[in-house]
Amino acid sequence: MAIGMSVPDNDWMARTLGQVPFVSDVQLPGMLTAKVLRSPHPHARIVRIGTSAAEAAPGVVGVLTAADLPGITYIHKGGDLSDREPLARSVVRFIGEEVAVVAAETAAQAEGALALIDVRYRRLPSVTSVRDALARGAHTLHSRRLGGNIAMRTESEYGNLDIARGATSTSLSGRYLFGRQAHVCMEPTGALASWDAERERLEVWVTTQAPYFVRQELAHVLDLDVAQVVVHEVAVGGGFGARSKICDSEALAAGLSIKTGRPVLLVLDRAEEFATTKSRHAFDIRLETGVDVDGKLTYRDADVTVENGAYNHSGPSVTKSALGLLASLYRTRSVSLRSRLVDTNRHPGGQFRGYGGPQATFALESQMDELAQLIGKDPIAFRIDNVQRAGDTTHAGWKLGTAGLVECLEAVRAASGWDEKVKRGGSGMGIGVAITAHANAVRAYDIANRSDATVQVGPDGDVTVLFGGADAGTGQRTILAQVAAEELGVEPATIRVVMMDTDLTPFDMGAWSSRGTVMSANAVKRAAQDAAAILRERAAQRLQVSVTQVRLTQAGAASGDCVVPLSDLVGEEQLEVTRSFIADSDMPDPATGSGNAAHSYSFAAQVAEVQVDERSGEIKVLRIFSAHDSGTVLNPLKFEGQVTGGVAMGLGAALTEELVYEGGRLVNPAYVNYGLPRAADLPEIEVISVGAPEPSGPYGAKGVGEIGLQPLPAAIANAVAHAVGIRLRDLPLTPDKVLEGIRARDGAPARTYALWRRPGRWYIAGMRAMYPYGLHHVLHRWGTRLSRTGGDPASTVSRITAPRTLQEAVHELSADKHAAPLAGGTDLVPALDQGISAPRTLVDLRLIPGLSGIRESASGSLRIGAGVTLADLLKHAEGERDSVVAEALRTIATPQVRAVATVGGNLCQEKRCWFFRNGFNCYKRGGWTCPCYAVQGDHRFQHAVVDGHRCQAVTPSDLATVFAALDAVVHIAGKKQERVVPLPGLYSGPGEVALAQDEVVSAVELPGRARDRISRFEKQRLFDGDFAIVSACVSLELDDGGAVVDSRIVLGAVAPTPFRAEAVERALRGTVLRPEGIRSAAQAWVGAAHPLERNGWKVDAACAAVERALLRCLPDREGVPLSGTRRL
Amino acid sequence: MELHCTVNDEKVVLTIAADERLLDVVRDRLGLTGTKQACARGECGACTVLVDGRAVNSCVFLAATLRPEQQVHTVEGLAEESLPLRSAFAHESAFQCGFCTPGQIVSGVALLRQGLPETDSELRHCLSGNICRCTGYASILRALRTAAGREDH
Repeated sequence: MAIGMSVPDNDWMARTLGQVPFVSDVQLPGMLTAKVLRSPHPHARIVRIGTSAAEAAPGVVGVLTAADLPGITYIHKGGDLSDREPLARSVVRFIGEEVAVVAAETAAQAEGALALIDVRYRRLPSVTSVRDALARGAHTLHSRRLGGNIAMRTESEYGNLDIARGATSTSLSGRYLFGRQAHVCMEPTGALASWDAERERLEVWVTTQAPYFVRQELAHVLDLDVAQVVVHEVAVGGGFGARSKICDSEALAAGLSIKTGRPVLLVLDRAEEFATTKSRHAFDIRLETGVDVDGKLTYRDADVTVENGAYNHSGPSVTKSALGLLASLYRTRSVSLRSRLVDTNRHPGGQFRGYGGPQATFALESQMDELAQLIGKDPIAFRIDNVQRAGDTTHAGWKLGTAGLVECLEAVRAASGWDEKVKRGGSGMGIGVAITAHANAVRAYDIANRSDATVQVGPDGDVTVLFGGADAGTGQRTILAQVAAEELGVEPATIRVVMMDTDLTPFDMGAWSSRGTVMSANAVKRAAQDAAAILRERAAQRLQVSVTQVRLTQAGAASGDCVVPLSDLVGEEQLEVTRSFIADSDMPDPATGSGNAAHSYSFAAQVAEVQVDERSGEIKVLRIFSAHDSGTVLNPLKFEGQVTGGVAMGLGAALTEELVYEGGRLVNPAYVNYGLPRAADLPEIEVISVGAPEPSGPYGAKGVGEIGLQPLPAAIANAVAHAVGIRLRDLPLTPDKVLEGIRARDGAPARTYALWRRPGRWYIAGMRAMYPYGLHHVLHRWGTRLSRTGGDPASTVSRITAPRTLQEAVHELSADKHAAPLAGGTDLVPALDQGISAPRTLVDLRLIPGLSGIRESASGSLRIGAGVTLADLLKHAEGERDSVVAEALRTIATPQVRAVATVGGNLCQEKRCWFFRNGFNCYKRGGWTCPCYAVQGDHRFQHAVVDGHRCQAVTPSDLATVFAALDAVVHIAGKKQERVVPLPGLYSGPGEVALAQDEVVSAVELPGRARDRISRFEKQRLFDGDFAIVSACVSLELDDGGAVVDSRIVLGAVAPTPFRAEAVERALRGTVLRPEGIRSAAQAWVGAAHPLERNGWKVDAACAAVERALLRCLPDREGVPLSGTRRL
Repeated sequence: MELHCTVNDEKVVLTIAADERLLDVVRDRLGLTGTKQACARGECGACTVLVDGRAVNSCVFLAATLRPEQQVHTVEGLAEESLPLRSAFAHESAFQCGFCTPGQIVSGVALLRQGLPETDSELRHCLSGNICRCTGYASILRALRTAAGREDH
């Protein structure tokens, strides 16, 4: 029996060693590497493209522009929804749009040649937000049938809204925002294409979930016959919907291969992956719901605005899918839905796990909780009273066969201890619930209700499954082996599964719409059953028994003690059976998407328990319970894996994940800037299956791939409301929003900073005030033209020296003004790539004995060599005396970084401002004529709230914060002399050190007296390993009576350099620590603050960090004061 | 520049560019494609290899700074030692797409050598350098515990 077992993947031996090739692992003779030239403008006309210089560059074999292509748009959903060519022809509509592609012998040559392509643009007015796009007289991206920037508009009403309103006793409305989320597949999107000119065949290896679409679209845009395109099997490193249609690189690699006659590999880098692959669509849902006196839903009225981005892709169908859920989750007398899909000059949205479901669920399920509270009902009971049940046909036409929402709700209620916990709201601890539904295998295309599979039994009895879809990590390959094994009586591990290859496999549209299991397992089941029947019949003849007496086993067909090996039943020719599965579903209504278009419907309920820190705004999710009706579970571990993976994505969407833009350009295209949850950010997740077998499902199964992430954002928002009484309707629920919500709840007055009394801040206050009134525009548009950098200098490191002494090192540095010191390289190497550092020579300091070692002197001071790695320092600091250093080190980056990053490198690291790092030509990159993009851009987390000047960045080093509090002195070696400066003296600006060209930090020394103080470190961050949003290090010397004799209070990430809060130190002096006194002392510094428009919350968060650190200095949590000291 | 080092217990001598990364050397020069590139910035851990037994990001490690006595081990070179861990990954379903998996395995080998921390919250923190987008990490934790032969947490 293979079904229902946690069967491991057949290829695990090779796959866990990375030996199952992904696209970038495939090698073809003569292969070229391609790089893409992308639009730097959100909206511009292309006046001309000159490629001759690039074509003549060394190593370049071909350059592809729109002129080389037949001028055909991708099909996508066809008709007037088809609006994008593989390369921009006359207009670019988003930053990052593909303009030209270069193929060269090496990646570096291709990259270098991009700068030689001469593109003349004429800028057009751009609309980089939905609001701009809808403004009167807004410039339009396309000539849409509906006019303006409206790509699609729908309107539908089910039931009679007026009557339903009349029956309503209570109603409420709200606006729910779900931002853009990125898939962040671990494998970057890529395509390898090889054109065989003789046979006129195009072979491709691509990161896809759906070879069918890749083949169809490639043939279409390149004007080939479908039969000329062959997709080959390759491992695919993640999909989540991103790869369920053709991506944007396949046609470029293919076009270049046709043009050059050589195989071409195009793989995106991580920044391109973030900035140009299609994200989750941002939704803005205005929802109104009514209930009658019995607590039954009367009506829903929704206005849904979806940001399409610059091209259609799946915007129309994602919108309609969300509308379907809005009309289908609950029994409601009347539902009225209006939607509009709005074009903007930002990269397009696309298919993403959940497909509109997460956005609709967040609105629906947040509002259900608000309603429950309003009418005084338990949130679970209120839902049970109103959910759709088996046998219902929903307003959107879903015919629910099996529907276990009530079972899901009961399961999470029992598992979570809901009835007890729900009584304890308002205490900072909260519990919240949300439910959802997902339509499986929607018939989005006429033939999408069909899937074919082939089962072969070879001459030696080996079983092969051939299937045309692709498994990007869903476990589909293993499920198919289980199904064939179940029917043929063999071990799943012995079955070979061949997928993707369009030459070998039968028709399937791929893995999307949670159709993987329900469609393909049904198809394989049919093929395997018929193959098994043939084998049994042959065996029955051979054994002279009736067919019913034959059973199939690993050893062969058996009856009683007699066994015939399968090879004997197959003979010379292999047995091959191909069967289709056709789901009983309708085509959806083209205007509204409604209809019973799915194979089946899956359901889920989730409960989240949270703890909310009212002082820092941090939400900690403690536990998640996820109950599912996905029918029968075919493989419990794979099932659980789909749910926990979905939950992790849902947690990211709920708390941290959001693509951030400035002027249409993505600000955070990097793992370190995009808060996807790391291992330590995830709570325990309990996964529960309550599904009844679905008659149309394979062995009773329904889909589970997408649904796991849908309810979580609402469950968490509901838990936060339960915990602290604030309702957040704008994802992600970052700490700034929590603190603003709490201020609003408490009626706190607006923050004021008495700038009129601080003449030193007038200049900056004036500059900031002028930014929105044209200063930003002038600096951005014109000032950057005078900038001192001409784009990003490519890495030009040509030499690395390895001096053995400090003298040699400083000599080498002084002799070459293009030399820079190299230690761990974890900051420098990325900085080369980011174009913020361009040394020609690197002086590797790691072999210098004088920089290593940690030594304790007789006086009790600790000398830490600058070359000591963070990992080694952590090992040392684990002891009592320097535990505060260990506290900080444990929060810094990752084990891999700490293994090589050094103390000196940590102190000297460049600022981490995401504008500066990610290519914005800002004040610090380009000079004084350039703007600081943080002033108007998203500065909520990373930027200064104290002492910010023209640049708003901060010094990122956590060690600097700690060392400043420990009175550290820095030893600096130079050619002429060694000098010693107190740590604050090391810094001249944000992440900028006051070192001459010939100087390096050689050691840091912590005085014994400071080491003997009581010191604590606190850090707030968005994810494990992130840089600080705020940090605080407190260091106290107490007298025998427990009074504070001396203290250092240093704040990190709030000012350009580590900020010593002397006002707090003064407030603490002579006092005995008590919790209430600590709270007021921790706020003594805020008179120095001068935050930007949206980061004032960091002032509160920094106070909270100081407070937490001071509280941890109390001898016990009670903080009993000692006698003879002044009370606070 | 001349590179002398030992990769998977074999001496390697190569002429490389100064800015070549260890990741380029193992993948492109030595054909050891088990090590994957996902970010090229030292942020995700897909390219993790061991240098003298320490897990490091090979994408931000300049190969020319390797010294002759230094030992590099890629996932291929750890095939035997990692077999119990890889088997645990398979039987706990600790990978889905498998792209981050070689990096997880290399980090896991380093962790198992030094002994896993007692608590799961500490263990989770030890995994912060290896991002997985598929699994939600629960299965990876279980696999590590299984491989360490202590499932009592």
